[in-house]
Amino acid sequence: MDFRLGEKELALKEEIRKFAEAELPPDLVRNTVIDGEFRDFEFEISMSRKLAQRGWLVMSWPEKYGGCGASLLEQTVYEMEIAYWGIPGAWMGISGIQWVGPCLMMFGTEEQREKYLPLIASGEKDGVWCTGYSEPNAGSDFANIRTQAIRDRDDYVINGQKVWTSAAHRARWCWLAVRTNPNAAKKHQGISIFIVDMKSPGVTVNPILNYYGRHHFNEVFFDTVRVPASNLVGEENKGWYYLMQSLAFERRSIAPTTYGSLKRILEDLAKYAARTEYEGQPLSKNPLVRGKLADLAIDLEVLKMFAFQLAWRIAQGQIPVYESSRNKIMGDDLMRRGAIAGAEILGIYSQADPDSEWAKLNGAVQGAYLGFPGQAIAAGTAEIEKSIIGQFRLGLPKSY
Amino acid sequence: MDFNFTEEQDMLRISARDFLAKECPKAKVREMAKDERGYDVRMWHSMAELGWMGLVFPEEYGGMAASFMDLVILMEEMGRNILPGPFFSTIALCALPLLEYGSSEQKTKFLPQIAEGEAMWTFALAESSGKYKASEVRLRAVLRETDYVLEGHKLFVTDAHVADYILVVGRTGDGERPEDGITLFMVDARGPNMKMETIPTIGGDRQFKVSFDGVTVPEDNILGKIGKAWDIVDFVLQRAAVLKCAEMSGACQAALDMTSSYAKERIQFDRPIGSFQAIQHKLADMLIDAEAVQYLLYQAAWGINVGSPSRWQISVAKAKANEAYQRICIEAIAAHGAIGYTMDHDIGLYYRRVKGAQFAAGDTDLHREVIAVGLGL
Repeated sequence: MDFRLGEKELALKEEIRKFAEAELPPDLVRNTVIDGEFRDFEFEISMSRKLAQRGWLVMSWPEKYGGCGASLLEQTVYEMEIAYWGIPGAWMGISGIQWVGPCLMMFGTEEQREKYLPLIASGEKDGVWCTGYSEPNAGSDFANIRTQAIRDRDDYVINGQKVWTSAAHRARWCWLAVRTNPNAAKKHQGISIFIVDMKSPGVTVNPILNYYGRHHFNEVFFDTVRVPASNLVGEENKGWYYLMQSLAFERRSIAPTTYGSLKRILEDLAKYAARTEYEGQPLSKNPLVRGKLADLAIDLEVLKMFAFQLAWRIAQGQIPVYESSRNKIMGDDLMRRGAIAGAEILGIYSQADPDSEWAKLNGAVQGAYLGFPGQAIAAGTAEIEKSIIGQFRLGLPKSY
Repeated sequence: MDFNFTEEQDMLRISARDFLAKECPKAKVREMAKDERGYDVRMWHSMAELGWMGLVFPEEYGGMAASFMDLVILMEEMGRNILPGPFFSTIALCALPLLEYGSSEQKTKFLPQIAEGEAMWTFALAESSGKYKASEVRLRAVLRETDYVLEGHKLFVTDAHVADYILVVGRTGDGERPEDGITLFMVDARGPNMKMETIPTIGGDRQFKVSFDGVTVPEDNILGKIGKAWDIVDFVLQRAAVLKCAEMSGACQAALDMTSSYAKERIQFDRPIGSFQAIQHKLADMLIDAEAVQYLLYQAAWGINVGSPSRWQISVAKAKANEAYQRICIEAIAAHGAIGYTMDHDIGLYYRRVKGAQFAAGDTDLHREVIAVGLGL
């Protein structure tokens, strides 16, 4: 056993700190949990470009696709630090870096890799992706999707509707799950994945505002959209397997990013408590405040260990069965608790709009408070994740 | 970064698990809860033959020269089986500080006896307030010619009835800070002017009030320096917190395994109850808790293993274990239903040991305070 970070990781942390100090405006509103990536898109893409120039944007990819072959451990540290400093633009929409790229490397053709991976790695707008998974009748019951692709000579013709599609309004490409065999014995056996150009005729993107009026996700309609057959990922009707892998990739990055952003919030709250007077002494002397922050620190340490353990397992060449789900549950739960405890410590100021001059800590706590209920649903609800642990780790019977 | 144990460590775990499964079934645990000594003498000697008592001692003291992490692995397995007896008090609370702070005469005299399973020790710190703080140490030790004379009492001293020696935290002076003037005495537990009264506990372990009414201790039997022993107490609390975490981690895994198996077998509404999400999700939560304890434990233990212990990581681990072990047991009983509330079922054995484990080497509040200070509060 060895829980040390290597020299590479420690140096990387230091470089990212310097980068953040040099490149970020000091009053940056750090409520990324609710805004996601897409509010000030030009600024975000300008940061993506800078991250790409540093060789960080897709650091763990092979060099020939624009990466620098960094280890998954470095990647994990990078994700933690990016979130800690609140550096926007790190994800190129909400799919490209985290799962489209890695899935294409596993299941895509060489032509697909050569075309799409360098675009993502460039940090330019043409490398921004969205992911079309959920539909009106396929949420947790994801295998129930009805958007259909029918082969027509060298093309497939796609019809249907996706919903909750994050970043669709910014994306150049869509990683799209569709039904290719409506007669398969089991629903999940008739699913395939396509790469769709969002500029294709027949694609319509309608905004769905979240409850705070922010435009993060969309509904996307596909009306007789023609896609070349070469845009099929892997084999036809084998999509479910790729999807599960993509979700594991997506869930993996939740622990490092949640760790980073909450660590920052925790540190900022500790400083806030130390400089805020209450009843003649600093708020930090209040036993309730001390207890709340200590409790967060304990589980933040758990989240850190979970994040590293999962990265380590993948780096060993093992395919994690349940760890991504474990980490997602832990991360989401901690984000909820951190937001609530943070708001309690900020007291009456916690209701101030995160953008307003009244918001403490640059609105980070309000951002988390408004953001966590959504984050907890994306990529699988706690209920779905717990069922995965029950079934695949503990060997319990299927529960749905 | 590496989350693997060595092959030798995996073998140690397996052999410990096999030994305890055979020698320490739950019937034995129940029997020992009623036994006057509270441990199985034959098993104790077998453990000594396996080298468990002297696991981390150098060979010159009859030990195996194994690492702290090895001891953690062993104690995780002991916790899984809730091994009764004075291993924790002898090794975690006393042998480790002897090894670290004892003079070479003291080590030569005491450690081989412990390694051979011939001597048992325990540690006496808490007094009426029950808090592990220097300010709460009232037991007085006054020098009379060449001996110190101890006056006062200690509470919740585990296994005092079978101990040969008690490490007693006493006050020999008062300084600016409450930590000044604390001295550690190795007291012959069978000597005169000492009284032991049982404190019956819900855990079925053996705890005592020990009264010292003019107990004399020769100067040779002082561990460390006179008046400067709080550092040793602090050392004991940190090491023991990690080793108690190890026991709790093993217990968490056992409670989880037991409940997971039951959920697959128990049929209600014509289905195993594990197919119901209300049960399945409870088990998923228990698993996350159990793994959280494990990884925090390994992180804290690893720090000690490589010679850079982190007080903060130790406190994080113990605070988490205190809450998680309790929660896992409560959820386990709930998942079992009424059978889990019976004397005959094993899960109750784990639940009844929660309280003792929580207060051993620092309760949650104590560790949360260490964490708060570490946060700059």
